[in-house]
Amino acid sequence: MSTDEIKDFEAALSELETIVRKLEQGDLTLENSLSLYERGVVLSRYCHARLEDVEKRIELLNERGELKPAPPGLTAGSDTERKGGR
Amino acid sequence: MTSLFDLPFEPEQQPEPEPARVLSPPASRDVPAAAAGGDILTVSQLTADVRTLLESQFLRVAVEGELSNCRAWNGLLYFTLKDAGAQLRVVMFRSAVRLLRFKPEDGQHVVARGRLSVYDPKGEYQLICDRLEPHGLGALQLAYEQLKRRLEAEGLFRAERKRPLPVLPRTVGVVTSLEGAALHDILTVLRARYPQARVVIRPARVQGDGAPQDIARALSAIARVPGMDVVIVGRGGGSIEDLWAFNEEVVARAIVRCPVPVIAAVGHETDVTIADFAADLRAPTPSAAAALVASRHEEVCGRLDRTRDRLKGALEGRVLRLRSAVQTISGAPAFAGWPARLAMRSRHLAESAHALQRAVHARLDRSFRTLDILHARLEARDLRRRAGAARGQIIGSVGRLQAAMLRQQHLHAARLGALAGRLDTLSPLAVLGRGYAVCWNMAHDSIVRNAAELHAGDRVRVVLARGTIEAGVTRTVPPENGDS
Repeated sequence: MSTDEIKDFEAALSELETIVRKLEQGDLTLENSLSLYERGVVLSRYCHARLEDVEKRIELLNERGELKPAPPGLTAGSDTERKGGR
Repeated sequence: MTSLFDLPFEPEQQPEPEPARVLSPPASRDVPAAAAGGDILTVSQLTADVRTLLESQFLRVAVEGELSNCRAWNGLLYFTLKDAGAQLRVVMFRSAVRLLRFKPEDGQHVVARGRLSVYDPKGEYQLICDRLEPHGLGALQLAYEQLKRRLEAEGLFRAERKRPLPVLPRTVGVVTSLEGAALHDILTVLRARYPQARVVIRPARVQGDGAPQDIARALSAIARVPGMDVVIVGRGGGSIEDLWAFNEEVVARAIVRCPVPVIAAVGHETDVTIADFAADLRAPTPSAAAALVASRHEEVCGRLDRTRDRLKGALEGRVLRLRSAVQTISGAPAFAGWPARLAMRSRHLAESAHALQRAVHARLDRSFRTLDILHARLEARDLRRRAGAARGQIIGSVGRLQAAMLRQQHLHAARLGALAGRLDTLSPLAVLGRGYAVCWNMAHDSIVRNAAELHAGDRVRVVLARGTIEAGVTRTVPPENGDS
């Protein structure tokens, strides 16, 4: 029941939706419901973390296949916008 | 060269009918010697004269007709232009073939431009074409149609080839020119709507020589970046020539080969290139392509929120049902009977039992409130443990209720015992224990309290603490003070 078993975001989200459907059907024992609910909370937190896990990078891939931060001129406006934004 | 083309020239070797008509217009000019007739010419001389005449008379021509018998040989292109009434041999040299923007095929209606000449060894006149264009349709359009048909036939554009965008595209690749408006538009939209994205840009020339190859290389390079989720390839608006790189086969194939989904975003809404057909997704503009990626992120956020709400709601419903079940149980006769039963024995006990039950209900309510709070707090990692503890509390409360009732019952029993003890001390039997006896008149079955009630000869029964004696009265002694 840890996040280690979660394959990726997509798998986590669809498992979460399956759990919710089962809980909504309501024919489970309380014990089952609670353990499904607990798994649901783990998945939900994982998904949320993945969504909020911000990369916020702009990189340039050059001819030699190297990744470099994009020159400031290219991303002009982004810094001020980000300060004003989120 | 087929015999078909050799035939029309045969009559020209007969000088009589033709020369007058063919050669008369240029007669006023510098007419070759042969025209005068009379002198006998060699074939070569005549052919040379005809060539001179043709080449001087038709400087440049543009001929419209249907392509047939098209074939390439040694870099040269040979074909026949024909209409309903005539045919014309055409040759294109390498320099002209290189400039072709479409592939000439039999049946195409074309316009060929060039100069007329004579091929001496065959005695054929022919058009040396330096520009060949599709008639009506531009060459680019035709090339576009041809490539589109071909790739379509290959199945490259089939719907089942299209891959969906990943549910959560975190790394977005962009293949376009660093200087173009497309890059600016894409970055602006992503900044505004999906600032969490990681963007990798692989610059590529998007027009001019080598652009198609550059785009193809960029696509394969950017797809190798670890974690790449989706690639946007495109450029801003322009003329059909400006956008042409995106109509090249090498670009279409690079898009199809790309291991991650590709969004094509070329020019404006109305520009549909081969790249658009080959891509997994077509965006009308570069901004729209970025918006597609951003909306993917927004969708998934909404989906997660809705799912979390449902998760919470599902357990809430569960707890509500559980609460009503417990209320039903606590109202059951097994519990309800207790106060009544106790009341029959002791009002005080009944009141304690009521108080106890109120306390237990309050406790149950508190436990459920705790459970409510627990499940409402989605972030509580140890919910199950705490909910289990709450359940334990409920069970414990019920247990304590039962224990308390048992205790009260024992108390009651002890009190009953004490009462019985007191009752015991009041019993006449207890007096007998101290040595007293009770005397019964056997004739009247009454206790004898006065000696005058009896006479000699009556029978009495004397009850002792242990056992009874029957006896006869021999004499009675009346009380001395006459107080009876």
